[in-house]
Amino acid sequence: MDILSNLAIGFGTAVTLQNLLYCLIGCLVGTLIGVLPGIGPVATIAMLLPLTFKLPPEAALIMLAGIYYGAAYGGSTTAILVNLPGEASSVVTTLDGYQMAKKGRAGAALSISALGSFFAGTVGTLLIVLFAKPLTEMAQKFGPSEYCALMALGLVAAVVLASGSVVKAIAMVFLGLLIGLVGTDVNTGAQRFTFNIPELSDGIDFAPIAMGLFGIAEIIANLEKRSTREVEKTVITSLWPTREEVRQAWPAVLRGTGIGSLLGVLPGGGPTLSAFSSYTLEKKISKTPQIFGKGAVAGVAAPESANNAASQTSFIPMLTLGIPSNAVMALMVGAMIIQGIQPGPEVMTKKPELFWGMIASMWIGNLMLVIINLPLIGIWVKLLTVPYRFLYPSILLFCCIGAYSLQNSTFHVMTVAIFGVIGYVFLKLGCEGAPFLLGLVLGPQMEEYFRRAMLLSRGDATVFVTRPLSAGLLAVTVILLVLMALPSLRKKREEAFQEEG
Amino acid sequence: MNRFLSKDFLAGLMFIGFGVLIYVAAFTDLSSTFGQSKLALGTAVRMGPGYVPRMLSFVMMALGAIIAITAIVAGSEPIDGGKWKPIVMITLGILAFGVLLDPGNVPAIVSWFVSGLPRWENPVSGLLPALVALIFLAAMGGDEFTWRETAIMCAVLTVICYLIFKWGLSMNIPMLQGVW
Repeated sequence: MDILSNLAIGFGTAVTLQNLLYCLIGCLVGTLIGVLPGIGPVATIAMLLPLTFKLPPEAALIMLAGIYYGAAYGGSTTAILVNLPGEASSVVTTLDGYQMAKKGRAGAALSISALGSFFAGTVGTLLIVLFAKPLTEMAQKFGPSEYCALMALGLVAAVVLASGSVVKAIAMVFLGLLIGLVGTDVNTGAQRFTFNIPELSDGIDFAPIAMGLFGIAEIIANLEKRSTREVEKTVITSLWPTREEVRQAWPAVLRGTGIGSLLGVLPGGGPTLSAFSSYTLEKKISKTPQIFGKGAVAGVAAPESANNAASQTSFIPMLTLGIPSNAVMALMVGAMIIQGIQPGPEVMTKKPELFWGMIASMWIGNLMLVIINLPLIGIWVKLLTVPYRFLYPSILLFCCIGAYSLQNSTFHVMTVAIFGVIGYVFLKLGCEGAPFLLGLVLGPQMEEYFRRAMLLSRGDATVFVTRPLSAGLLAVTVILLVLMALPSLRKKREEAFQEEG
Repeated sequence: MNRFLSKDFLAGLMFIGFGVLIYVAAFTDLSSTFGQSKLALGTAVRMGPGYVPRMLSFVMMALGAIIAITAIVAGSEPIDGGKWKPIVMITLGILAFGVLLDPGNVPAIVSWFVSGLPRWENPVSGLLPALVALIFLAAMGGDEFTWRETAIMCAVLTVICYLIFKWGLSMNIPMLQGVW
């Protein structure tokens, strides 16, 4: 069995002392930032990128992945206990989770959410294993024109499924592509937009941009809002759900896992969208929709499973095709590139330990989260009482030291400051950072493939529509764009995102 | 509310601005003032370094124009005024951190204004002064600044940084240039 031997490689890599340790660190850091509102996985991973350069690639990616799915766990803990969603993906959990806690069922809600998440994570991991091989094999038949078309599809789909204005998001993608051009042109050696600054000839480093756009701008926005948090104590009596609760929970877990796995693969889908969709579905098909919002077990089980399944399956396009489907995946691609690994179908064949090790570690990480987090709940809730005025200067400091440590150069620290300001402007103008980041990551590769495709076709641009695969991919891209322009659909989409906000 | 001060109109202007900047910097005679040599376009078969950038700059201008015009015609959300303090203080804090960390930075900045000075190094540089500057400036950006609390925070963070970065990761940053 191919899959079994691959999994054996994976577990062989993941179950070394070092990688288990980094997996644990990732899960703990992820839970921590998941618990703390105002700092999300994107900002954290961006800030920790510099620290991972000194690690071996497996350990680095295992840790970053742990932060990503750990955050979803942490976010739901505070959503249930104190009605504060630590992450966007756990906003829906507050609706019924906190109500359950008020009824004295906090322990049950927590264990249902943890076990549901673990089940969903397991399914998600299995799906990655099953789909990795065929998708990779398909991708290996791709020529430059197909790659170019695939990236276009990925970028457009991410934009369509993200919230906010579509045209603005597309413009942000192009801006990202443009900033990605800065540096030395690989084909000719010409300096592009380096403005005589020697540090720019290798391009603007990815990590300081991400830190500035997501870390610094987020801190500034939080300071402007200035929210006061009040933490209400919830008493946890028993962690065990009753038989009746289990009976209500498990079908919801199954449906949530299904929706989450599906939406996670789609570019721009991801955990938040999955959680909302599965909650809506549960409410629609429930025989007792009136109990939703008043402590319905299914209202906790479904979105919690969905967001975890989605965080797992969103790795599929990134690992097999090298196409990131959301901002976190873009950061993972960045982390791989900095480690000297070109993301794409070759990763699986050239670096099987990395590929399967990461997948195996995700399952182990999910298990760790269940085991460590239930006993640690008390500590996490206490952390909520640390005031933000102590947190943000410390976060800034670690951010700055991290940026400096990239190349022991203060130039990167200045870059962080500049992109902090740019990120703030983006925020004020309602331009989202995620499409920008996707464009930035894919930009250099996309130009490379575009130029190569045109060279092979002797300058004939029709190559993109005459090759069946690339024509098909581009057709889907165009259909998506046309659908977006239709007024009726646009309205539906706006309604869907209205519900979220 | 003035419809020219809306989020979308200004965003449109920003995109047009980026497109124009790229075009002017790479494809006009003004490019040398940007410290950038003109980029060759090449042909569709053998693209020069300028082919894709020019395409992108046109797309940026077009998208920017669409966004800005739509905003004028259909209107969009007005821009919400922010507070100046967080953005200014935090940016200053990070810049100060960068300047104070490396002993060569202050002399480099001074030499922009005064030429002909002998080589010198900023004696107050290293992680400690950089950290203090960053923490104080950043803390002042918030609403609940007190000197005492911030000083304690600096002390605690100094210890933490020393333990993590110098002792744990054995990173090559002096705490205070030439002293510690």
